Amino acid sequence: MTPSLPDILLGNFLCMAEAPPPESAGEFMAGKVGVVALLSLLAAQEAERGSAARVWENATLRALLNAAAPDYGAHLAEAARAEDGDLSLGSLDRANATLRRALIALHEAVEAAGDVQRDHAILRLYGQMAHARRLDMPPLPGR
Amino acid sequence: MTLAERLERYLTRYWDTPTEVSNLSRIPGGASRETYRFDALVKGQTRPLILRRDPPGSLSDTDRRLEFLAFQSFHGRAPVPEPIVLEAEGTELERPFFIMSRVDGGAAASPFTVDPYGEHAQAIGEAFFGALGAIAAVDPSELPLGAAAVSPDPADCWRVALDEWASVIEADEQHPQPIVRATIRRLRRAPPPPPVAVRVVHGDYRTGNFLHDGQGKILALLDWEMAHIGDPLEDLAWAIDPLWSHYDTARVAGMLPRAEALDIWSRTSGLPVDAAALAWWELFSAVKGQAIWTSAAREYRDGGFKDPVLAISGWYTARRHDEILAERLMRLEGLS
Repeated sequence: MTPSLPDILLGNFLCMAEAPPPESAGEFMAGKVGVVALLSLLAAQEAERGSAARVWENATLRALLNAAAPDYGAHLAEAARAEDGDLSLGSLDRANATLRRALIALHEAVEAAGDVQRDHAILRLYGQMAHARRLDMPPLPGR
Repeated sequence: MTLAERLERYLTRYWDTPTEVSNLSRIPGGASRETYRFDALVKGQTRPLILRRDPPGSLSDTDRRLEFLAFQSFHGRAPVPEPIVLEAEGTELERPFFIMSRVDGGAAASPFTVDPYGEHAQAIGEAFFGALGAIAAVDPSELPLGAAAVSPDPADCWRVALDEWASVIEADEQHPQPIVRATIRRLRRAPPPPPVAVRVVHGDYRTGNFLHDGQGKILALLDWEMAHIGDPLEDLAWAIDPLWSHYDTARVAGMLPRAEALDIWSRTSGLPVDAAALAWWELFSAVKGQAIWTSAAREYRDGGFKDPVLAISGWYTARRHDEILAERLMRLEGLS
């Protein structure tokens, strides 16, 4: 998966906590500070939207898998029982991994069956999933 | 012993004459190599040089010898710095490295800045796509790189490229990625027509991987670490990927209208742009990107979260390429 919010914030601390060797103290460190600043800005977006995006995606995937189960197998309904737990990012991601694996299997089966209607529904869902997880890069001034 | 002292000892041995190293400074330049600028005083002359050393973790496991041969192949044919020496074992600097001449006075634009080339975007774009066409115009058999790199059959270029990057995703994925997997299946179901000829593919030809002088001139084409032989449309598609134009929908790479960029490339390469083939390679580009970002995310974690460039790659760019892929998949089905 992409790094989690705790990964990013921990990394921002770790990469700045150690004094750099002399040859990395100038331009390289200035560049690193800029990247850490950008990561912090994006982390604010993830803190604001990350949990809601995961809760929405997990609920949507459960509904999709349950709806497809009569045609594509009971294993999909079984996967849909993955629970969000305590709603921490880690817990939501664990459920999401189970649900996404089932989604991948479903999409493969849908393609094999030539089920265009459900294929298109899944493609639209991909757009919604990507949009919900987006990170908005602010307009940065050029040099 | 400091890195400067080790470098000084190495160059003294390599040139068999006393050499002094000064002004050694690491510069930002991605996560695939550590890049340092330095001056070497040898026989009374100061030589401005660049050291490229393998990092403990990198974006992709690439063949540094091919990278060095790519510099050798295009130095003198295109604005490419002169390679000096490659040390594949690299014991004296702890990791493999190579040294090349330094081009001063230029800047590399970040792909995430707004209008990175300002009033010089047109001139930069003409030079950028013209240089890519010039690279694609050369028969690889004439080049040092062509003698060392595997040259696939034209009909297999797409399969070799897709297999390589799909396997990276398979190996490094830490969370299921349904969008890129759906794209890989689609690419396999509908292969592109073969190229007219195989050519050297830079592998990472894009905004940010060249130096320009701020006045519309390209000074140096850099970052050849993914160079290989393949379908030249792979480079063209990567160069015009929406990721590198940062929401500028009117111009590719933040430089030129798409049609103009393709026309320049076709004229300078002498090769046609097959629309169906380019469409396949454009979809492939986002898969390749997603593979690189997937590896970056893994290396960020495995490396103890200490390289923020890997974090940006594995996080922001991965999410952005998911958006690009999803939009393309819908468009191909007439859904957007």
